[in-house]
Amino acid sequence: MRGADYVLKRVAFAIVTVFVAVTINFALFRLAPGNAVSNLSRVPHATQELRQALRKQFGLDKSRGAQYVIYLEQLVHGNLGISFENEQPVSKNLRVALINTLPMVTLGTLFSILIGTLTGVVAAWRRGTATEALTVSSALGFYSMPTHWLGLMLIIVFAGILPTGGMTNEFLLNPSFWTHLKDLASHIALPSLTLGLVLYGEYTLIVRSAMLETLGEDYILTARAKGLRPWTIVRRHALRNAMLPVATLVALSLGYIVAGAILIETVFSWPGIGRAVYEAVLQRDYPMLQGAFLLLTISVVFFNLVADLVYFKLDPRITE
Amino acid sequence: MMARRFTLLGAVLATCLVVTAATGSHTKSGGTFRIGTASGIDSLNPYVAFNQDAYSTFEYIYPVLVQYDKNLHFAPFFARSWKVTNGGKTWTFRTQPNAKWSDGQPLTAADAAWTINTDIRYQKTGAANVAGLIAHITRADAPSPTTLVVHYKQAAGNVLGQFQQFFILPKHIWAQHTGHNGTDLKTFPNNAPVVGSGPFNLVKFQKNQIALFQRNDSYWGPKPQIDEFGLQQFSNDDAMVSALKAHNLDAIESVPATAMKTVRDAGFDVSDVPGLDQTDFIINSNPKKKHHRELLNLTVKEAFDHTIDRNKIVSVVFLGAAKPADSIIPASTGAWHNPHLKPVSFDLNLANKLLDGLGFKRGSDGIRVANGQKMSYDVVTPTDVQSIPRTFQIIQADFAKIGVQLKQKALDSSAAFDLMSGPNGTYQGFDLAMWDWTALIDPDFMLSVVTCAQYGGWSDSGFCDKRYDAMYSQQQLTPDQAKRRAIVWKMQAYLYKQRPYLWLANDDSVSAVSPSWVGFGNTPQGPFNELNVSSLTNVHQK
Repeated sequence: MRGADYVLKRVAFAIVTVFVAVTINFALFRLAPGNAVSNLSRVPHATQELRQALRKQFGLDKSRGAQYVIYLEQLVHGNLGISFENEQPVSKNLRVALINTLPMVTLGTLFSILIGTLTGVVAAWRRGTATEALTVSSALGFYSMPTHWLGLMLIIVFAGILPTGGMTNEFLLNPSFWTHLKDLASHIALPSLTLGLVLYGEYTLIVRSAMLETLGEDYILTARAKGLRPWTIVRRHALRNAMLPVATLVALSLGYIVAGAILIETVFSWPGIGRAVYEAVLQRDYPMLQGAFLLLTISVVFFNLVADLVYFKLDPRITE
Repeated sequence: MMARRFTLLGAVLATCLVVTAATGSHTKSGGTFRIGTASGIDSLNPYVAFNQDAYSTFEYIYPVLVQYDKNLHFAPFFARSWKVTNGGKTWTFRTQPNAKWSDGQPLTAADAAWTINTDIRYQKTGAANVAGLIAHITRADAPSPTTLVVHYKQAAGNVLGQFQQFFILPKHIWAQHTGHNGTDLKTFPNNAPVVGSGPFNLVKFQKNQIALFQRNDSYWGPKPQIDEFGLQQFSNDDAMVSALKAHNLDAIESVPATAMKTVRDAGFDVSDVPGLDQTDFIINSNPKKKHHRELLNLTVKEAFDHTIDRNKIVSVVFLGAAKPADSIIPASTGAWHNPHLKPVSFDLNLANKLLDGLGFKRGSDGIRVANGQKMSYDVVTPTDVQSIPRTFQIIQADFAKIGVQLKQKALDSSAAFDLMSGPNGTYQGFDLAMWDWTALIDPDFMLSVVTCAQYGGWSDSGFCDKRYDAMYSQQQLTPDQAKRRAIVWKMQAYLYKQRPYLWLANDDSVSAVSPSWVGFGNTPQGPFNELNVSSLTNVHQK
């Protein structure tokens, strides 16, 4: 029963969080100076009629309260609205951008989780050695690098070896499946590597810290005394007990995958959701921004909820 | 201002269209020509599109009545000839016979008449963004498949200039999308493959990635030599230059000044021609301005003008790929530019003398006091014009030498324009600003941005002057182009003295192409432009 209460509470909290975020999303962008009409009506030969038509078309001639009610009604019907910028459904714009973003960011994030966890474990196990110093300093070094700078450096280093922009070679006509896959892999390498290198340091440091804590526990000493092999101690006793903070970090990382990686997408001309959101901010494309941030909110809340539930599984004491 | 987005029309083809038909040389037809661009196509719907590359795309896939030739004169395109009757109020165009749309349907003058009449009918709803192009037209008729008759309320001065930007749409496609009082015109995505009738068909489009064009074999004009060309969008100039150097691209539309040498050293042909973009220093010239009214004083404006070191801006900010600017109509528009105007000299002594003469003495902190207020001003700057931060630093340092303090207020373009035009379109919210404009070849548009009618619209200076407005109306209603040019020159001279803008630098248009290709002509609007279709119909492999 206690477990069911815990789950229900977490789910209810997640729903309330989403609703609050939806409201903030609506208000936040409208409070920013500037508006969509003054931007989009600034084309040559624009007339006052154009401005009035856009205002009416976007519903910006209505009061903020009325706009909010319409927004909520549309959301209830699963309609994210029409983008001010290209007049296409926001859901379609987001879907295209998200499909582009997910492989690149997921690959980078998985790279960082795997490499970061591995180097964190090694650093903790080899505490006080040159291995630890090298691992930690390189992790800190990459973690502190500006993402766009690292991306530019990789472009310089790999120019002519790997593609520096775009998702695929768009000039390949009707490529075979394998040609396409190879092409995609070559394009995804640099942006994913950039993301992975910047993020893995965080995992290294957290895993190392958690591992050092567990490695000082009595049960580790017992395991050593029992003559277990080092790797068995790490895998069965130390790492498993160090997983709580790592689970939080993984959940947060996965939650933010749908936000894309705006700097990386810009540096590598990757047509993902980060760039779509940035452009929507500049255009004051409220429906697009509301849709993108709703997606992000739901994603972050969902993965936090998953983390809460994983906690419950990893450590049943948590409900006490 | 905001001009990077709408860099429309424009241009000195005269010296720039390197129309390399490669006479007498061996040419190789076919192949795919790959172009990198930092701009991009925002929409394939002409009622929605906003970006320069979108308009250039329409130039290549839709019929247009006239285009510019290399001497900046209007040349026949879909209209083979035209005549003016009824005192300039009736224009009759003879259009291309036996033309077809890419889906095989006949393309006739009826399509042109339908597009014009549809735009007139829905100019306050779905067709609002092209309303300016059909201003003063009452209706269009197509009495035969090759005759288009356009009726005007009054004789207009820039008819061909407007039609050069007017894309004729296939009636059999678009007539199905006029519902909801025309608003459906804007929601039709017009996805690729687009039904058109230009030298190329747009066969593939992925926003922020690629636009792929294939030669249209049923095109009624001179056939392109290449099989296809593609426009790949980059959001990072360095990555684009790297892709060119790695031969993943054949050309790039706009080379950053910092990369010109690198690209040239790598063996690419770099073309550098005067462009249409000009940066400006804006003085709020709203005659009803409440604060810092000393900025309305023409002597103060003159002093500020002499404080700007244009040569330094050109050499430091643009690395030489620009020219000092002098008029609202850039020199690259050819005959429309008033040749008697010259860039104002950089002369700090004269500037100080002018301000001293007004009795604006320096305070203990070195800042002058005018009418009881320190001459200390915020300068609104948009964050999307890359040259502005460094330009501002140069100007700020020199203004300090004449006892005027400038403080940068950087905002994104939407917020900046709202601040400048606000509150409620009264232009009371700012003193000074910096931005840029990109001119069109026909001067009407640039001259309009300083009219009273543009308050809350295009005006970013608050300038409102009845005498100027009268001249503006006069040039609009003068069909004789020589007489119109005289008025246009007079208007430029007037603005030169009134100084709502202090013009800073006129950027060059710089493109690069692989030496294995020829015929990719650069223009002030770049090689992929909406002036005409010569660049990509002429380009071919060596």
